[in-house]
Amino acid sequence: MIQIHTAKGEKASYFNEREHQICLMARLIEDGKTYWVAGGGSPMASILLAKKLYAPNAVYVTEDGVLAPEPVLPFDPIMTMVSSRAGYRALQWGTMNSIGFHAQMGYMDYGILNTLQVDPYGNINSTLLGDYESGEFRRFGGPGGADSIASLCWRTILMTDHQKRKFVPRVDFISSPGFLDGSEGARERAGLPRGTGPYLVLTPWALFDYEDRYLRLIGISPFVTLEQVLAEMSFRPKMADQLLTLETPTEEELTLLRTEIDPRGQVTITGDIGRWIMRREDGSFGPADEVEARGGDPNLPRSW
Amino acid sequence: MARELEVLAEGQGEYHRVDPDGFREWVRDHKQRAMVPKLMSAKEAVERFVQDGDYIVYECNYIQRGPAALIREIIRQGKKDLWVGAKFTWVDVALLVEAGCASKLDVGFFLFGPVVDRAVKEGRVKIYEYSNVVMTNRIKAGAMGLPFIPVRSFGGTDGFKYSGAKLIKDPYTGQPITIVPALNPDVALIHVHQADIYGNARVFGTGISDVESALASRKVIISTEEIVDTEEIRNNPGITAIPYYCVDAVVHLPFGAYPGEMAGRYASDVEHVVEVVGATMRGFVRQYLDKWVYSAQDHFEMLDKLVGWRKLQEMVQRATIKEGYLP
Repeated sequence: MIQIHTAKGEKASYFNEREHQICLMARLIEDGKTYWVAGGGSPMASILLAKKLYAPNAVYVTEDGVLAPEPVLPFDPIMTMVSSRAGYRALQWGTMNSIGFHAQMGYMDYGILNTLQVDPYGNINSTLLGDYESGEFRRFGGPGGADSIASLCWRTILMTDHQKRKFVPRVDFISSPGFLDGSEGARERAGLPRGTGPYLVLTPWALFDYEDRYLRLIGISPFVTLEQVLAEMSFRPKMADQLLTLETPTEEELTLLRTEIDPRGQVTITGDIGRWIMRREDGSFGPADEVEARGGDPNLPRSW
Repeated sequence: MARELEVLAEGQGEYHRVDPDGFREWVRDHKQRAMVPKLMSAKEAVERFVQDGDYIVYECNYIQRGPAALIREIIRQGKKDLWVGAKFTWVDVALLVEAGCASKLDVGFFLFGPVVDRAVKEGRVKIYEYSNVVMTNRIKAGAMGLPFIPVRSFGGTDGFKYSGAKLIKDPYTGQPITIVPALNPDVALIHVHQADIYGNARVFGTGISDVESALASRKVIISTEEIVDTEEIRNNPGITAIPYYCVDAVVHLPFGAYPGEMAGRYASDVEHVVEVVGATMRGFVRQYLDKWVYSAQDHFEMLDKLVGWRKLQEMVQRATIKEGYLP
C-alpha cells in the first residue's frame, strides 16, 4: 500500500498543475530512504519540499557524485546540478562512477525521473520521437543518468505530464528500462538487478502503480474526471477497485515552494506548468478560466 | 577443457578500438616517468596532442569546471573527425559539430538542437548510444587497464542495440550480465583548480570521471586556474587527484572554465550561458562561434576584448561558497 503523508493546514485556493504535482510527490517521499534524483526540475523540487515538511531524514544523491547535500536555495539559475550551491554541505563529493556503483550495490531505494514518453510497462523514452532506423525522428539529448536510475534503484518513480502523446502503448525508443515486454523476469533476463523496476507514475492529474508489471490507475486529482484522465492516455490502464482523491496543495506547501525552493519560478512558472486551478465557491476545484467565467470567488486574485 | 563464452545478445554499434596491451605499450613509449616541466600554451598543447580523428573526452563543459578554453582552441585550430565521448556535457557538441570538428558521438547526454540534428540527418555525424554512467564505467575500465567492464544497467534498452555492449552469460553466477567495452580515449581535456608544472593536479568538488579520464587517455591536457609549487603538492599528497606521469601538457588558463562556474573561484557568466544555450537550441551556433571563438586569437584575447575585467571581478565576487574548495 502506498504511504502518503497528510498535508496539514489550510488548502490553497489558487495554484497551477505543476505546483500540485510537486506537492503530491513531496507527500510520497519516504523518510529515512535514499533517493537518486534527476538533477533539476520537478523531482528535485519535490524532494526539497518533502525534506522541509514530511521527510527530514530522506537523503538524496545526484549524478555528479553529490551525496546528501544541504543546498543553498534557490539553485543557480542555469543548472541545478554540479554547481557549488547544489552541492553545498554534502556528506561526500564523489563522482558519477561512485554514485553509479553505490546504486549498483543496492544503496539507492528510489529514483525519481522525468520523461518524454512512458508505456504500460513503465519503459521510458528520453531519446527521440519518431523512428530511429529510418531517421525520421525528432531527437532529444539522450538518457543521461536516467537509464542508470531506472536500472539500479530499487524503485523508480516517474513524474510526467498527463498527455495522450506521453502515455503510449509502446515507446518510440527504450532509453531507460521499465518492465521491458512486461513478462515476468524480463529485467533479470536483460542483466538488470533482481527486484528492481517501476513503482509509481505521478502526473498532475493522476497517480499510477503497477499490477503484474502493468500500469494501474490508483488516484485522480479533484479537478479532473476519470473520463478526462483516460481520454488523455493512448492506452487503457488497469484500474484499482477504489480510486484515491489526490489532495490539492496547502498554503504552507505552496509558500515554501514559491518563496524558498523556486522563488524564480524556474520550475513552477516558466515552461510547461499546465493550467491554473482555482477553488469554486462550493469548495471544489476547477480550471481557473472556467471558474472565473462563472464568477468565481471574488476574494481571489484575478491574475498571477 | 575450454568452453565457449555464451553471448546472448550484442549491440551493432561501432566502438573505439579496445586494446589494453596497445595502451600499455603507449604508456611505456610515450608517458614521461621523469618529472619534466610540461607547461605550454593552449595553442601548443592542442597542436601537439590533438590529432584529426582522435577520440576526445571532457565533461561538464560550460557548466562547472569544464575545459572550455581548450575546447575553443580545438575549434580555432579546426581539428577534424573527432569522436566525442558526449557524456554529461551540454552545448559543446553543437559547437564542435558546427565547427566541423566532430564526426562521431558516443552519447550519454548533451543538448541536441538543430545543428546536430541536421548533421546527423545528413550523415556528417554518427551517433552511438550509451548513458552517462555507462560511459564513465567504460572509462573506469580503461583506467584499470581492462578490456571491458560488466554493468548492471543498460540491458534491455534500445540504446543497447546501437552500442558496443554485449549481453553474456556470466560464467560465475550463470546469470545474464551486460558488458561494455573499455574506453581508452586518445585525448582527455581536464580543467583543474591547481597543478604544478609537472602535471600533479588538484580538483576540488565533485566530478564525473575526470580522474579516470586522466588515467585512461593516451594524451592528457590539463588546464589549470593556478600553478602551484611542487613543495605545496608534497605538503598535502592526499588531495592530489591526478598524478604527473599521466599528464602530457599543463596549460595555465585562469578563467579557463569561462563562461561556466569554477567552484570556489568564480560563478558562471549567466548571460553568456543563456546566449550559448539559445544559440544551440535555435541553430545559431555559427554566429555564436564567430562572436566568441573565431574573433579572438586565444583565451586571453577573448577575456580582454569580449569579457573584460569588470565582468570577471563580478563573477569572482559571486563565488561566495568557499567550503571544500580550498586546500
